[in-house]
Amino acid sequence: MTLLRVEDVHKSYGDEEVLKGVSFEMDRGDVDVLMGPSGSGKSTMLRCINRLTEIDSGDVWLDGTPVYGPDTDVNELRQDVGMVFQDFNLFAHLTAVENITLGLKRVLGVPKAEARERAMEHLEQVGLAAQADSYPAELSGGQQQRVGIARALAMEPKLMLFDEPTSALDPELVGEVVEVMRDLAAGGMTMLVVSHEMGFARSAADDIHFLDSGTVVESGPPEQLFERPEHDRTRAFLTGLQAETHQ
Amino acid sequence: MLQAGDWAFVFANLDYLLAGAGITVGLTLTSLLLGFLTGFPAGAIEVYGDGILERVVSTGGVVLRGTPIVVIMLVLFFVVSISKSAFITATVGLGLRSAAYQSQIFRGALQSVDEGQMEAARSVGMSRFEAIRYVVVPQALRRSMPGFQNEFTIVLKDTSIAFAIGLAELLTRGNDLFTQSGRSTAVLEVFLTISAIYFVLTFATNRGLDRLSDYYAIPSGENR
Ligand SMILES: Nc1ncnc2c1ncn2[C@@H]1O[C@H](COP(=O)(O)OP(=O)(O)OP(=O)(O)O)[C@@H](O)[C@H]1O
Ligand SMILES: [Mg+2]
Repeated sequence: MTLLRVEDVHKSYGDEEVLKGVSFEMDRGDVDVLMGPSGSGKSTMLRCINRLTEIDSGDVWLDGTPVYGPDTDVNELRQDVGMVFQDFNLFAHLTAVENITLGLKRVLGVPKAEARERAMEHLEQVGLAAQADSYPAELSGGQQQRVGIARALAMEPKLMLFDEPTSALDPELVGEVVEVMRDLAAGGMTMLVVSHEMGFARSAADDIHFLDSGTVVESGPPEQLFERPEHDRTRAFLTGLQAETHQ
Repeated sequence: MLQAGDWAFVFANLDYLLAGAGITVGLTLTSLLLGFLTGFPAGAIEVYGDGILERVVSTGGVVLRGTPIVVIMLVLFFVVSISKSAFITATVGLGLRSAAYQSQIFRGALQSVDEGQMEAARSVGMSRFEAIRYVVVPQALRRSMPGFQNEFTIVLKDTSIAFAIGLAELLTRGNDLFTQSGRSTAVLEVFLTISAIYFVLTFATNRGLDRLSDYYAIPSGENR
């Protein structure tokens, strides 16, 4: 069953067309990975799904709801779409557990004690129950990102968006975040991930979409896209990526 | 120069001076409060507002910051005559002038909070207002502390400008003392005494505000 449908999305900044008619679909439980060179529009595409950025034309549907429909409440829509950021963006003045309870209390109206209980469950899920009362600046990057994931999960979203969740991390901290993401994928969460982590893509992705200059050049399951890419641009990009990770 | 008789005169009138210091402190507090209650929203409007309101606020700020405080106070008291009370007039003058500066402190602090904080708040479904209220403002207030502390010191010392409208604060009372007939030799002793009082007030409040900043500081791991 289709959970997310992106249809011919166009987006320009000034004269520069960043998304030139992007279309793809995800079923419930799918894990898709967006790859592509820097500036190809990956982040913009993700942000158009929860309307942190507005599209110029096209359509986005989430679970049958038109994301850009005139009657769609953007704040309600965003409760269904969790987002994980490259720079974590944890609320700097709040502890790990407070980062999670804030949305529960203010957006969902969950009473204080229950909010804390639910937040603790999600911290446990990412292996950070012991750090509940630490402030973001007291946590490692990997820990911060796991709190970021827990914060998004606590809203019980239908879809999780990840924008390069590991690229700001020291190499030795990537693993713990990828592991949490693998668990999520295995648990049936629908995930759209911008990432160049080949290991994660290979083991968890249903489909990879290769984006270049604002268009999806080619899509397919990892074994197909990685082993038998059809387009020169994809091949060139993957070669570059492998050279980078093996250096 | 310094004479024992003049010191004795100052100490005999210390109560009178300290009562003036009380008015100075009171005026500082009312002015800062008015400045905060007006300046904080003004700073927020400059950052988040648009259109006519934003223009009115930022123009008002430019005018207030560009006018000498003694002129503001004299105009309010003698030209516009907003109140018969010199204390109320001084509060309004110092308060509005402080608002114009505090708005800039808060504007800078609000703008210094990373855009990602707002985006993260919006991404969990908070409205723009909720994101500002629960995520941006608490961080901006903490970052305003050094600027606010500075403003506190400036307002405290500038209460002495209420001298121009005859408010019986510390400086005015000091002036009253040595202008009494036959007491002009005590001028230096009087000024040393009131300067010391201003210094103690400034020093003590700054220490107090330091404590407050430390108390609300966000733990960063390093300073543990
Ligand atoms: N707010 C903005 N205003 C103007 N231009 C923007 C804005 N956001 C993105 N762009 C431009 O849009 C293009 C696509 O940016 P985007 O961030 O989506 O790329 P990306 O694929 O995520 O790149 P990266 O791998 O570097 O994160 C870039 O040329 C970028 O400069
Ligand atoms: Mg990006």
